[in-house]
Amino acid sequence: MVEQLSPLGDAWKPGAHGRMLGGAGVTLVETRPGSIVQLAAWRGEEKTIIDTIRDVSGLALADGAGAGVAEASRAAFGFAPGKFLVVDQAEGLGATYRAAITTDHGAVTDLSHGRTAIRLSGQRAEWVLAKFFALDFSLAAFPVGLGVSTAHHDVFAQIQRTGADQFDLYVFRSFARAFWTSLCHASEEVGYEVR
Amino acid sequence: MIITCPYCGPRDLVEFSYQGDGNRTRPDPASTDQATWNDYVYDRINTAGDHREIWQHAGGCRVHLTVVRSTLTHEIRSVALTRDAGHRRSGGHRRAEAGDSTGPVSGSAEAQP
Amino acid sequence: MSGRRSETGGLIDRSRTVRFTFDGALYTGFAGDTLASALLANGVSLFGRSFKYHRPRGVLTAGVDEPNALVTVLKGGVREPNIPATMLEIHDGLSAVSQNRFPSLAFDLGAVNQLGGKLISAGFYYKTFMGPVIGPLKGTRFWMLCEHFIRRAAGLGKPDFAPDPWRYERMNAFCDVLVVGSGPAGLAAAKAAADRGARVIVADLDQRMGGSAKWTDDTIEGMSAADWAASALKDLTGRQNVTLLPRTTVWGYYDGNTVAALERVTDHKAVAGKGEPRHRHWVIRAGTVVLATGAFERPLVFPGNDRPGVMLAGAAARYAGEFGVLPSGRVAVFANNDGAYRAAAALKEAGADIAAIIDVRSDISAGARALAGRAGVEPMLGRAVVGTAGGKALSSIRIQSYDAATGAVSGEVRTLDVESLLVSGGWSPAIHLASQAGAKAIWDDELQAFLPPESPGSWIGAGAFTGTFTTGGAVAEGQAAGIAATGGEVATAVDDTAEDDIDLRPAPVFEIRADGKAFVDLQLDVTAEDVRLAHREGFVSVEHLKRYTTLGMGTDQGRTSNVPGLAIMAEAQGAPIPEVGTTRFRPPFAPVSIGALAAERFGELKPERLTPMHDWHVEQGAVMYAAGLWLRPQIYGQPGETVEQAYVREAKAVREAAGLVDVSTLGKIMVQGPDAAAFLDRVYTNVFSTLPVNKARYGLMLREDGLAFDDGTTWRLSETDFLMTTTTANAGKVMQYLEYFLDVVWPDLKVHVTSVTDEWAGAAIGGPKARDILAACVTGTAVDNAALPFMGIVHGEIAGVPVMICRLSFSGEMAYEVYSGAGHGQPVWDALLAAGKPLGLVPYGLEALGTLRIEKGHVTGAEIDGRTTARDLHLDWMLSKKKPFVGSMMMDREGLADEDRIKLVGVISLDNRPLNGGAHIVEELDRDNPRDSIGHITAVCYSPALGKYIGLALVKGGKKRHGARAYTSDPLRNRFGPVEIVSHHMFDPEGKRMHG
Repeated sequence: MVEQLSPLGDAWKPGAHGRMLGGAGVTLVETRPGSIVQLAAWRGEEKTIIDTIRDVSGLALADGAGAGVAEASRAAFGFAPGKFLVVDQAEGLGATYRAAITTDHGAVTDLSHGRTAIRLSGQRAEWVLAKFFALDFSLAAFPVGLGVSTAHHDVFAQIQRTGADQFDLYVFRSFARAFWTSLCHASEEVGYEVR
Repeated sequence: MIITCPYCGPRDLVEFSYQGDGNRTRPDPASTDQATWNDYVYDRINTAGDHREIWQHAGGCRVHLTVVRSTLTHEIRSVALTRDAGHRRSGGHRRAEAGDSTGPVSGSAEAQP
Repeated sequence: MSGRRSETGGLIDRSRTVRFTFDGALYTGFAGDTLASALLANGVSLFGRSFKYHRPRGVLTAGVDEPNALVTVLKGGVREPNIPATMLEIHDGLSAVSQNRFPSLAFDLGAVNQLGGKLISAGFYYKTFMGPVIGPLKGTRFWMLCEHFIRRAAGLGKPDFAPDPWRYERMNAFCDVLVVGSGPAGLAAAKAAADRGARVIVADLDQRMGGSAKWTDDTIEGMSAADWAASALKDLTGRQNVTLLPRTTVWGYYDGNTVAALERVTDHKAVAGKGEPRHRHWVIRAGTVVLATGAFERPLVFPGNDRPGVMLAGAAARYAGEFGVLPSGRVAVFANNDGAYRAAAALKEAGADIAAIIDVRSDISAGARALAGRAGVEPMLGRAVVGTAGGKALSSIRIQSYDAATGAVSGEVRTLDVESLLVSGGWSPAIHLASQAGAKAIWDDELQAFLPPESPGSWIGAGAFTGTFTTGGAVAEGQAAGIAATGGEVATAVDDTAEDDIDLRPAPVFEIRADGKAFVDLQLDVTAEDVRLAHREGFVSVEHLKRYTTLGMGTDQGRTSNVPGLAIMAEAQGAPIPEVGTTRFRPPFAPVSIGALAAERFGELKPERLTPMHDWHVEQGAVMYAAGLWLRPQIYGQPGETVEQAYVREAKAVREAAGLVDVSTLGKIMVQGPDAAAFLDRVYTNVFSTLPVNKARYGLMLREDGLAFDDGTTWRLSETDFLMTTTTANAGKVMQYLEYFLDVVWPDLKVHVTSVTDEWAGAAIGGPKARDILAACVTGTAVDNAALPFMGIVHGEIAGVPVMICRLSFSGEMAYEVYSGAGHGQPVWDALLAAGKPLGLVPYGLEALGTLRIEKGHVTGAEIDGRTTARDLHLDWMLSKKKPFVGSMMMDREGLADEDRIKLVGVISLDNRPLNGGAHIVEELDRDNPRDSIGHITAVCYSPALGKYIGLALVKGGKKRHGARAYTSDPLRNRFGPVEIVSHHMFDPEGKRMHG
C-alpha cells in the first residue's frame, strides 16, 4: 500500500520546544495507525460486536459505556451507545471487520484516512488537555482504557486514556493541523517534545 | 449548565445543542391533515416551569436526549435517551440511574462527576 | 491617607526593592507591595481625578472594592485602563499613570466642573441635551453633537487601539469542593474538606492567601492569625488533593455549580515565562462551593467624604498589618460601630498617631471603650464629621454634635487638624456570588446588612459572608462548611460571641446631612443629593434609581456604595430598607479581560480545516479563501493577472480542454444499514430505493416546513451502504438532520450515519478531455461510456492508490469525481495533473467553479437560502408523488405555491459591466428613489462561454419574465444598469456536453 501522507505538514516540528524546566512536561506524537475502524451495532447487538472485537483484535472490552482496552499496537473503546472505535498499527482492519460483521449485527465504517491519531503523554498531559476539553482527566474519573467523545470548539475528538500519563486523541483529519498547532501552543508553558 | 448524558456522564453545556420542544409527536408520514402538520411544525407550548426538551449531545456521543428542565430555574429534573421513549434498554449505559427518566438529576451536586 | 513605611512588620519582602514609575516619576517599593501600598509608603495621597467633577481622589480601600484609585498600566506597548491600584502588584519596570486628568494630575483643567457641580446632577445629560423639537439639531442630533465633548470630559481611563499581544488561556477544572476566599473561614473549610479526602480548590483574588488573618491581631488556635494562616497554607500546599489558586478572582457563578474565575498569572511579573498566559480563565465544576468571601466595609456619607486622606478604617489596618504602611500625621477615626475601634487600637500600637475617635453613637460598649484606651484617646460620642478641608490632601475635619435618632446636626463646629480620616459605616457581606446563583438577599436589622439567604444546597457559606464577623466564629463555620461540603455531619452550633467583648451591631446611620457634596458612589460621582433628586423625580424602583443616577454601575460594581445608596433612598421614601429592595448582582464580580474570555479562538489558533491537497494549492500560489472553516483555493493566479482574468482563464480552459478542482470539502456521510434505502426515501424528495448499486443520483432535501434545505448526490456502494454528499456549508447541518430523524422520529430504522468528509480526498476533473485524461492514468477499470455511463461509479487505481470514480457534473462538462483515501489525495492529484498536462488540464478554484455553475444555472446555498422552495428553483421534477418525504405535506401550502413568488432566472448585463450579488432587480429605474424591487441577484460572474457579464437571480414571476428588460438597482454600490432576464440555463441548455 502507498503510505498515507501526514496531515500535519510543516506544523510537525520534531524536537524540544517551549519552557523546558527540567525536561518536557508532555510529549506529542502522531501515531499514524494503519487502521481506524468504526463499528456500530444495531440495538441489542452490542454484545455481538464486543465479542467480534475480542475475536478479531484480541481485545476484551467490558460491557459498559466508554469501556476500552489499549495494547502497544492496537486499541478499542466504546465512544457512543453501541459504537466502538478499533485501532491497529496494521493496515486492512476495515476489510477484516467487514467480513466479520454482517448487516444483521451492525455497520462497519473505515476511518483510517479520516481520523488522525495524536498521542499526548507526560506528567503534564492532564493539565494540557484540561485547557481544551471540559472533562475531568484525573485518573480516578478517567481510568486507563476508557474512551470518551468530546469536542473543543468545532473540533470533535475521541480520547482514550492509554496509560497513567498517556492519552490517544482521534480528531478529524482536516482539523488535525490546526488542532496540533493548538496542542503545541498550549504545551509551551510546560515544555514539550515532538517525536 | 451541566447535563448528565446517560452514556457519557455529566458534561458541560458547550457540548450540547438544543434540538427543540420535546412535547411534539411527528404526525404519521402519510397523514394529509394540514392542521396536524401545522401544529407539529409551528406550535410550541412555551412552558414556564418544567419543560420537556430534546438536546443532542452533539459535542460528544451525538445521541439525542429527552431532558426535563425547569425554564424558571434551569434545574434539570431528568435526562433519558430519546430513542428509548421512556423505557430503558441494556447496552452499556454509564450511570444507569441518570438515564432513568424518573430519577432526579439536579443541577446541583448530584450532577457533578 | 498618605503614609509612611513602618520600621518592621508586614508580609512584604523588605530585602527586595522594586522600582516602578507612576505618572513618569520613579518610585521604589518592596516585593509584595501593591501600587497603592507602595505609593502610600512614598507619601503619595493623590491617585486620580473623579469621573464627573474631576475632584482629587486618593485611596479609599485596600482591595477589589476600590472605587477611586484606578490607574492605567502601560505594559508591552499596551495601555490597560481602570486597574485598581489596590490590586496591582508592583514589579520592576512597572509603569502606571493616573486617569481622567488634563494636563496633569496635580493641575487639572477639568476641575472647573466642580464649580458647576449643581448643574451636573443626576439625569443632567438626559435633561439638558434633549435638543430642540424642530430645526437642524432636533432630537438626538443635538445630543450627538454634545456627546463628543461630554465623553472627553467625563470618564475613566482610555484604552488604545493596539492589538493585545498577550496570551490568554482557558482551563477546565473539577473538584468536590471549591472554596472561594482564603481567610480564616476559607482555610478552615479547605482543611476540613481536604482532611476528609475531597478534591479541593481554593481560590482567592489576592496575591497572598490568608484573608484578614494576614493583618488582624487575632488569635486562632493559640497562634497569631498570621502564623495560623501560614501554617494552614503550608499544610494545604503539600497535599495532592488540594489546588491553591492565589490571584484568582471568582467572578461568575452559573448553573450546575459551574464557576468562572480569572487567574492573573503573569501580571505581577516583569517578564512572563515562555508560554505562560497573562490570564487564565478557569471554568470550575464543583460538587459544592464554600463561599467564604468575607465582607466589605462601608464608608459613611458626609460632606467632603471624598477628600484624599479619607480611607476605610479596616483598609488602614490592613495597610499597617500586611504592608507595613502607616497613616502619616495625625489620624482621626469616624465610625458608627465598634469594629473601627479595633483598627484604631491596632494602628496606635503599630505606631500611628491617633488624634480622635468620633462616633455617631451616644453610648458604646465596654469593649469599645477598652479599645479606645489602647488607642490612647477618649472617644467623642454623639458627634459626627460634617465637613473636610484640604486641597489635594486632607488638612482638617469639622465636627458637630449629632443625634443618631433624628440625624440632626447641631451646636458648635469644632475643627480638628488631621492628615488622615479613617471611616467605618459597618460591614456588608460579599454576597455577590450567592446572588448570582439566584439567592435573594435578606436584610438584617441587627447587622444593618444584606445577608445571604438559606442555601439551596449547592453552596455553603462561612465566616463574614454569612454575617459572622468574629474570627473564632469564622473558623468554626469554615470547619463546619468543609465537613458539610463533603457529606459529613456537623453537630455543634457556631459560637459567634466577640473575642474582645465588643458590640458587632453598627448604629443605623449611613449619611450625615450637612452642607456640601457628600458622595455615595465615589467612582461615578453620585452624591446623596442625586439619590434624593431621583426620588423627587419619581424613581421608585431601586433598579430605576441605579440606571438614572448610575449608582453602583462602575467597574467597582458599587461595592462601597450600594447599601448607603439604598439607605438614603429608603429614608427619602420613608420606607424601611428591605422594602426598597436590592438589585441582583450579575457576573462578573470584578472586571474580566476580554482576552481571557476569547482565549484560543483567534489568530493561528482558529480551527481551520485543510484539504489533503492544501499544501500543493499554497505552493502553486493559489489565493486561499475561507469558506466556513475550510480554506479553499479561490484562483490559481498567474503573475500580473487580476482575479477576474484568472478565473476566466481557468473556466475557459475547462470548457475547451479540462480542469481539475479540489472537492474534498463536500460533506460526505456514510448511510449504512438494512433500512438505509428506506431512510433515504423519507429524507430525500426523490426515490433512492430504486437506485442500482454503483450508481449515483442527485437528491434534494426539504425542511419540515417545506422549504428547500440541501442538495447533493448520493452514491449506492452496496445494497446497504450509501455515500451521501452534501454542500460544503451544510455538511454539519445535514448530519444533525439525519441523526435527529434516526434518533427521535424513527428509532426503529436500522441505519447508522457517520461523517466521512475527512476520509476521502475528492478531485473533480471536467471538460472535453476529461475522459482521455482519466483513461491515461486509471488502471483496473475502463472509463468509457459503457463501463462508466453518466452517474455510474467504478473502482480502480491511480498511482497505485485505490480510487472510486463517479461520473457526474457540476460544471456542465463531461466530468468525474475521483475519490481516494485522504492520506492518498496528493499522489492521485499529482497523477491526474501529470496525465492531463499534455491535454491542457488546468487546476481551477472556487471562482471558476462558480462561473461554470452560474453558466449552467445550477443552484448552491446562495439560491437555497432558506426562503426558496423546490419549485422556486425549478426542481419540481425531483418531488416524488409516489411517497411522502420530509416537507412533502408543508410544501404545497398556498403561500409556497404562489405563482408570484421569486423564482430562479438568469440575468445578463446589457451595459457590459459587472453585476453585483445582492443587488435588486427593478422594472423601472429610479436612482434617486430606488423602490419596487422584483427580486435580487444571487450570484455573478463574467462568462467566458457567453462573452458577457451574467448572473443568477430570484425574480418575481420567474419564467414569465424570460426575455424581458429590467434593471439592476444597487444604490449602496452605486451600480444601476439594464439587464435582460433569461432562463437560468444560460449555457448548453440541452446538456449535450455533459452526456457527450
